Amino acid sequence: MKIRSTALVISVLTFSAISISSAEGPKKAPAVINPPPTAQDWADLAKLPDWSGVWNPNISDQDKQVKTNPPPWNEQTARKIEQMFAEEKAGRPRLIFANCLPEAHPSWMLVTHNAMEILFTPGRVTLLGESDGNRLRRIYTDGRGHPDVSDPTFHGHSIGHWDGDTLVVDTVDILPQAPLAVSEAAGVPNNGDMRVVERIRLADKDVLHVDLEITAPKILTRPWKTTRVFFRQRARKFDIVEGVCAQGDLSERVDANGDHIFVPVKKTEWGNIEVSK
Amino acid sequence: MTRFLSSAAACAVAGGLAVGISTVAAHHSTTMFDHSKTLTVTGSVVELRWVNPHVSLAVDGTIKEKPDIGKAVWLMEMTSPGNLVRAGGWRRDAVKPGEQVEVVFSPLRDEEKKGGALKKLTVLATGEVFTANIREQEKPGLE
Repeated sequence: MKIRSTALVISVLTFSAISISSAEGPKKAPAVINPPPTAQDWADLAKLPDWSGVWNPNISDQDKQVKTNPPPWNEQTARKIEQMFAEEKAGRPRLIFANCLPEAHPSWMLVTHNAMEILFTPGRVTLLGESDGNRLRRIYTDGRGHPDVSDPTFHGHSIGHWDGDTLVVDTVDILPQAPLAVSEAAGVPNNGDMRVVERIRLADKDVLHVDLEITAPKILTRPWKTTRVFFRQRARKFDIVEGVCAQGDLSERVDANGDHIFVPVKKTEWGNIEVSK
Repeated sequence: MTRFLSSAAACAVAGGLAVGISTVAAHHSTTMFDHSKTLTVTGSVVELRWVNPHVSLAVDGTIKEKPDIGKAVWLMEMTSPGNLVRAGGWRRDAVKPGEQVEVVFSPLRDEEKKGGALKKLTVLATGEVFTANIREQEKPGLE
């Protein structure tokens, strides 16, 4: 404990020193021009492949890959993951996705149990998730590069280009707290410097493959490749529905004034609803 | 809908859950339930919480396999509304408070706690059946 707090003090002081030195010569982020789209820009979207509809993750394939395609964890991380698997098996699964924060990139692609939709607008491909709150990826396809100034986010900064009917995406600047998860109970923070390259394409009429190559030097011994599978139901009977994660911790009630309100429910440390004996 | 909740049942479901840590949670693993077993509760619906990330159903009833337990409120969790609509034929108004139902569920490993993971819900008056297996969405030709 004493060693850890010393290390924490050192890292805080180091961070402060770096902040002060960069404040002396601030770098201006280059202006990104976002011109209004032209009629041609909108017409060009029609040439893209049809990625419309509700995309569901193939959860059975996710389950399979836990065994058949584990990431090349470094030694320290492998021990943590082993322990998490053991705890999960014992019925005490670790709650990785707490505080209703996004699963983040790339864990959303890896372990989501919920649908998503993909929207095309000029200069952008946008992915929106159905549940778990705040699952939103903006992939800029207008030719811009990554910014010079680091501003880490849950889904990182993504730039993409079309290689035929395949969208090639490069993502950097993901928050170091964002987990690299292989299941809902096994994952670790990426700890920074993670980079994700994806090739996204239709593998079949209603099957989307996301080929990921994840480089995470703080936790992996080498880049990890995995393909994640999404499928859509073509009769289009279903729509994406709203999903507010924090609503799962609330119940609908009417108070003494007749006002419709939310009251909290209790959850266990593993995220399931607490029940009485 | 909320007005139909009896104050006793409402307490049992929302306020009376005194033990436990309040942590705003997104998706979680389901190994706190014993998926190798099922129990069946028959009784009346207290409340269906149609919420993300996990819908929950409270039923005030008796357990077929354990008649000695007596009437009590059992709280079952399942997946998200979107998945339930696609994989199990659910609607937000699939059941209403007071309706008589039979629910098959995998109980919590802590057998003292009255809860579990819902597998199948049958509305007794109509015979309508709802299931909650998220992997059912992978069935070809779901629509």
